[in-house]
Amino acid sequence: MATITFENVAKIYSGQNEVRALDGISLTINEGEFVALLGPSGCGKSTLLNLLAGFEKATEGTLLFDGETVTRPGPDRGVVFQEAALFPWLNVWQNVIFGPQVQGVARADYEPRARDLLKLVGLEAFAGALPVQLSGGMRQRVGIARVLAMSPRALLMDEPFGALDAQTRLSMQQLLLDVWQSLGTTVLFVTHDIDEAILLSDRICVMTARPGRIMRTIPIALPRPRSIASLTSPEFMAYKAGIMSDMKV
Amino acid sequence: MSLSTERLSSRPATSPAPGFASLMLSPARRRSLRQGLLALVLPAVVIAVWQMAGTDGSLFGGVLPTPDRAWQAWKVWAFGSTGLSLNPYSGTWLANLVFSAERVGKGFAAAILVAVPVGLAIGWNRIASGALDPTVQLLRPIPITAWLPFSIAVFGIKDLGAVFLIALGAFYPIVVNTAQGARDVERNLIRAAMMMGAGRWTVLRRVVFPASLPSIFTGLRIGLGIAWTAVIVAEMVAVKSGLGYVLWDAYYVGRMDVVIADMASIGLLGLVSDRVILLIERWALTWRRLQSFQS
Repeated sequence: MATITFENVAKIYSGQNEVRALDGISLTINEGEFVALLGPSGCGKSTLLNLLAGFEKATEGTLLFDGETVTRPGPDRGVVFQEAALFPWLNVWQNVIFGPQVQGVARADYEPRARDLLKLVGLEAFAGALPVQLSGGMRQRVGIARVLAMSPRALLMDEPFGALDAQTRLSMQQLLLDVWQSLGTTVLFVTHDIDEAILLSDRICVMTARPGRIMRTIPIALPRPRSIASLTSPEFMAYKAGIMSDMKV
Repeated sequence: MSLSTERLSSRPATSPAPGFASLMLSPARRRSLRQGLLALVLPAVVIAVWQMAGTDGSLFGGVLPTPDRAWQAWKVWAFGSTGLSLNPYSGTWLANLVFSAERVGKGFAAAILVAVPVGLAIGWNRIASGALDPTVQLLRPIPITAWLPFSIAVFGIKDLGAVFLIALGAFYPIVVNTAQGARDVERNLIRAAMMMGAGRWTVLRRVVFPASLPSIFTGLRIGLGIAWTAVIVAEMVAVKSGLGYVLWDAYYVGRMDVVIADMASIGLLGLVSDRVILLIERWALTWRRLQSFQS
């Protein structure tokens, strides 16, 4: 069953210089599938994610989530932002329970789940800390936990590890692999990092800029469960070589 | 052996003897103590020069009293017996101070209650902004002193007139700063809240309001300063009690020592109330303080 369907979607920013940020995007993402959008900055991959999140509206085409037209943001599509976008005045615990709280979920229902999620991302000792007291990687763990606290149907991740140092990024990728392995949520993952896209996803959509289009879709058949050790396997290298020649880098 | 003597000799430099330790202050403490002493130097010099220049009674033709005479006047004003004395100000300091502080409290509270919601609405909602902001900007250039005749005509020589002027004066800086704070909320924070299922009202209450608090407090501190200006102006003209009334009354009967003592009282009260706001701000905005400290 298809969870996410883009049909001929275009996004045009009108103005003095009209910009076709996205053009003729057709893409179907199945339930439980991990799809990466890979491309250089300015290719519209974040715009595509914003359309699905309901932050922006498509100019042309149809965009369906679970068979329904996307009109506004909602807790069925959990978004993980590049800079975490945590509420700086709330501590880690308050940030994680924000979603269920504003949706009116009973405390008895969300508290055990939130506690489990904090443990899952390794931050149970930091429940009372403010975001400013955490490192970038820890902040992003909170960003992931607060989204999972809502049990979303899909995770939309916008270069979530782009601002982290190389080592932290590796451990976050491992964490995401583990989480995804156990939850099996549909994921749309935006990145400009070829390694990251191959390591994580079932399918990579390579995008080109101006206008933003999907140039090629590459299924990644690396065996699951994966770990960051997969980064050095010969199959991995073969995929990487192929994508690099596609992107002409 | 040589090693142990070396250790012994280096000891006083790193850890002083316990008896001496109680007298030692931490570097941070010492720095704040030094800052405090530094702050007192200029006022002390001004008062000393003023005192010396005025002792022969010739300062500005004998009009200006010396600091010690102002101090004597304040002591009678504050602690003198009421009623029986020939001095009409004797023992009335605290009562007048409370009159003024109460008016400022009422007017300032009224200003907060109206200005914060209006400011949030202007900053957050385009329709509210279009409907309210032009009127606010149109009325803002009218100084509160210009509202005096209006206030007396409408409210009479009563408390309400003074409270109205104070509220009006404090309203503008609070509303303008609150609106700016609400406009400047980071887009991704609002998106994150909407993504988690928050409706417009929840976003306003749980994201826009806390995110605007730093600006709101800026507005509060400016507004409080204006509130103290307004209460003195109002009391000089529109009511018959309070520090402003005493100020003008004392001037009329030539009691410049009381005038000086009154001015000092107003300044002190303004300073104390500003510190109170600052303390509340530090408590409410811990997250903000940590942010700026670490960056």
